[in-house]
Amino acid sequence: MQNNMKVILYSRTFMAIIGGVIAGILGLTSLTGFIFYFLVMAMTSVALTAKAKFSIHSYFDSWNRILLDGFFGGLMSFVLFWTFAYDIVHIF
Amino acid sequence: MGAGFLVGVIGVLILSHATYSTIQYRALLKITEEEFSGPPIDVVIELIVSLVLCLWAAMAAPGNFKSIHPQSEENRVVALPANLDFMIFNHRGKIFPLETELKLK
Repeated sequence: MQNNMKVILYSRTFMAIIGGVIAGILGLTSLTGFIFYFLVMAMTSVALTAKAKFSIHSYFDSWNRILLDGFFGGLMSFVLFWTFAYDIVHIF
Repeated sequence: MGAGFLVGVIGVLILSHATYSTIQYRALLKITEEEFSGPPIDVVIELIVSLVLCLWAAMAAPGNFKSIHPQSEENRVVALPANLDFMIFNHRGKIFPLETELKLK
């Protein structure tokens, strides 16, 4: 259980950082960027479900573990890297 | 760990190349004095490719899920008592009277 949660957190943080850099390069602003974050997180959730071979209950106790865990922590990383990439590409 | 990590590194490299291309594109727009409406199509393709590679890396690199059910094949700790080498006969159960007759009745 602990091992599985660690794997989830690692995947989510990595995808949040990559999504942030991509949103920054694309030049997304305000609401579009957050919609992009939701899309990336939904994609990560689907991929994690596929990694668990679509049988969530043999690896986790509930669906919330795979859908929501690390969402807000990932949002912080996303905003950080989003502004970072946007500044590098579009302002300097 | 190895292959997934390598894929992630390639994804990040493609991402940095896409960043560099966009910076050059902005510089070109500054010379021709046009407005920035969106990155060029090859940068978009690079971004999509790197997103897919990084998604793959994020799934492969951190390791595999382990089953939480006690009675699964991967759970070695629970499977140990079933091993004959770990059976113990020298315990307090030997001072109790045998009740084999009770069962035979």
